[in-house]
Amino acid sequence: MSLKSLDPRVTRLELPENPTEPTPKPELDQLITYEVFHQKKENAAYTYVGPVHAANEEVAFLFGKEQYSRRYACTGMWVTETKNVMVTPYTDEAVSVYDVIRIQPENVTENVGKTAENYEIFHLKKRGKAHQHMGTVSATSYEDALAEAKSQFGDKKPCVNVWVIKAADMFRSEEEDKDIWSTTKEKEYREATAYRVLDKITKYKEENPVA
Amino acid sequence: MYGGGNIFEATKFDDLATEDPVKLAEFEARIARGEKIEPNDWMPELYRKQLIRMIEQHAHSEIIGALPEGTWITRAPGFRRKMAQMAKVQDEVGHGQLLYSAAETLGKSREAMLTDLINGKSKYSNVFNYPAVTWADSNIISWLIDAGAIVNQMANAKGSYGPYCRALDRICAEEAFHLKYGHDAVVHMATGSPKQREMIQAALNRWWPPIMTFFGPSDKMSTHTETLVRWKVKMATNDECRQQFLDMYVPKIWELGLTVPDPKLHKNADGVWEYTEPDWVEFKEVINGNGPCNKERLAVRRTAEEKGAWVRRALLAPKKEAKYIKPLA
Amino acid sequence: MNTEALKDLLYKIADDQLILGHRNSEWTGFGPMLEEDIAFSSMAQDKLGHSLAFYKILHELGEAEPDTVAFTRNANQFHNCQLVELPIGEYDFSLIRHFLFDNAEILRFDMLTRSSYEPIAKVATKLKGEVKYHVLHANTMIKQLGSSTDEAIERLQNSLNEALPYALGIFEKSKFDNELIAEGIFEGEEKLQTQWLENIKKVLSQTHLELPDLNTITPKFGGRYGEHTEHLQPLLDEMAEVFSIDPTAEW
Repeated sequence: MSLKSLDPRVTRLELPENPTEPTPKPELDQLITYEVFHQKKENAAYTYVGPVHAANEEVAFLFGKEQYSRRYACTGMWVTETKNVMVTPYTDEAVSVYDVIRIQPENVTENVGKTAENYEIFHLKKRGKAHQHMGTVSATSYEDALAEAKSQFGDKKPCVNVWVIKAADMFRSEEEDKDIWSTTKEKEYREATAYRVLDKITKYKEENPVA
Repeated sequence: MYGGGNIFEATKFDDLATEDPVKLAEFEARIARGEKIEPNDWMPELYRKQLIRMIEQHAHSEIIGALPEGTWITRAPGFRRKMAQMAKVQDEVGHGQLLYSAAETLGKSREAMLTDLINGKSKYSNVFNYPAVTWADSNIISWLIDAGAIVNQMANAKGSYGPYCRALDRICAEEAFHLKYGHDAVVHMATGSPKQREMIQAALNRWWPPIMTFFGPSDKMSTHTETLVRWKVKMATNDECRQQFLDMYVPKIWELGLTVPDPKLHKNADGVWEYTEPDWVEFKEVINGNGPCNKERLAVRRTAEEKGAWVRRALLAPKKEAKYIKPLA
Repeated sequence: MNTEALKDLLYKIADDQLILGHRNSEWTGFGPMLEEDIAFSSMAQDKLGHSLAFYKILHELGEAEPDTVAFTRNANQFHNCQLVELPIGEYDFSLIRHFLFDNAEILRFDMLTRSSYEPIAKVATKLKGEVKYHVLHANTMIKQLGSSTDEAIERLQNSLNEALPYALGIFEKSKFDNELIAEGIFEGEEKLQTQWLENIKKVLSQTHLELPDLNTITPKFGGRYGEHTEHLQPLLDEMAEVFSIDPTAEW
């Protein structure tokens, strides 16, 4: 006998009426996480929205889109594996992180032969808010990128935390796929503004005055 | 810096926070200043534990909460309701995802949390152990349970833990749709045909007692509670939430000519709602697994996990060496 | 223009979307992982939205209101292909169905953007981006899972074998096919199927899945003419359970 539910979907799952103990899960049963950034409108800075669990960046992108853009306007999305994000310490709100972290002065000889690449710099303005993209710097290492970020964006205060991500590690939505972000007026059924019942209530009250 | 195991050296923190009392004082001062705590800040073990517990239970409540309303997802009447019901239940799953992520930043993996849920080790909101008998029950849940959840969540969104606040900001924005959608559906039923009206009143009668227990019994003020209040983990007392809920929604129920099945319910001269004390014995019974739907809710979740296990195994496959690290924020 | 042909085309498109959207909403809350649960729910909503858009065109052509059309017809009045009405089964089957269906759907939308019947072209242009995401989702998941564990590959292969005869039923010609082509309304099922086959082969070639020899398969036809499996009527009864308490009520 399987469980008969009020939900026909559950009845179809054919749940055992007396379930056995669940089988213990292997330790590995945990997907890695990806951090998702979205762009609210054209030319706006990309902003951190949250993580998803996924197998690779393509899957993370699919998941990120549905989780973080379905209810908000979005014109583009970036995702990167969590381990690709280098994070400075968080500072007090009165203090800029650039004034607190010790950045190794650039060692010219050490960088000889290293090719520079692009790094994306994100600032957190206030604790509890979300990291925002400040710009891209060219550098030979994360440390170097942070130093570069300090010279370019160090005056942009407040900044309680910085994230540094290699541009090459960022999986980005394609320009040619812009149309996947377009939303239609018909989707307003999931917006609070689509529901207006005041007229119905007023009419009801008029027709049924309280005795 | 951390993330890939790379740590940038922090001068200030190391200098200031060598001693626990100092760290604690700094931590408390930060909260007192109204600043949020972020994942890699030092935090007392109790703070971490309590937050994991609270956020995890909240997350479980979302994904289990998807089930009572999901009962009617394939039967919602008409396009408008059908699509909105899907979106609404989907949001609950989405909220679960956001909250598990927030809890993960504190060091407990999502899989570990889901395992604890399935094993009955961790709890979720009691109210979801009641059945959605008709379509009207689903409307009452969308409106009033979500209304209760918003009261709670708005309070918690002012709490001290950054990732939880970020998740709650997003959740509260989405809940605004739930509330309006639920209210819209209830109003249509209450002002509709006699049959619809009868359905919605019956659903309200069924759901009122669980709704009254939604915020939990009156808090016992202990040192422990005081600490959690000072740390902005607990943002409002259960009674405060209940009063706020009654204040906001009882008039909206009454204006539709619906009756609340509690003859004692009224607002007294001091502006405080008086009501029949909810049945806390039953409440405890249900929490302990003996409610009308506990067994089914957990069985569904367990089956979903088991049936989906091959997908997760397959997604893990190419990245066997990839190591899980907790999300950042 | 032959209105009967036009309506027949619109009904089969909208019915496919309604029934598949309904089926996929059965996953909401039960998905194999939270993120995928959310993605399936979104696509289910999109499908519902698409069917509503096409039922609205039908309404403008004199058919009943979308709610009436969707919630009060019997199975034999539905023109969806049988593929979409099959139960959701396990996730492998639902994913394979989604892959097979949406790879056809995107091509159909692409053709419809060029339709000589303007309301159709407009709707197709507006909604195409959503179908594009559906295909991106399907192809990414198939590529990922179809080249992962033996267990996943075996499941997907079995589901592919099972779904394929029904998938070929997507392309069952209506009696108006030639007429629609001649009038530039729709470029026809045959052309659609040829392109579809190329596209799904391209994806499957990046996996360990094998496309069975199509010559050995008998397509499951009938859906486009109102002949359905035993699964459709119960689905419709379930969908209309509340609506039929009082079809004239505002819910």
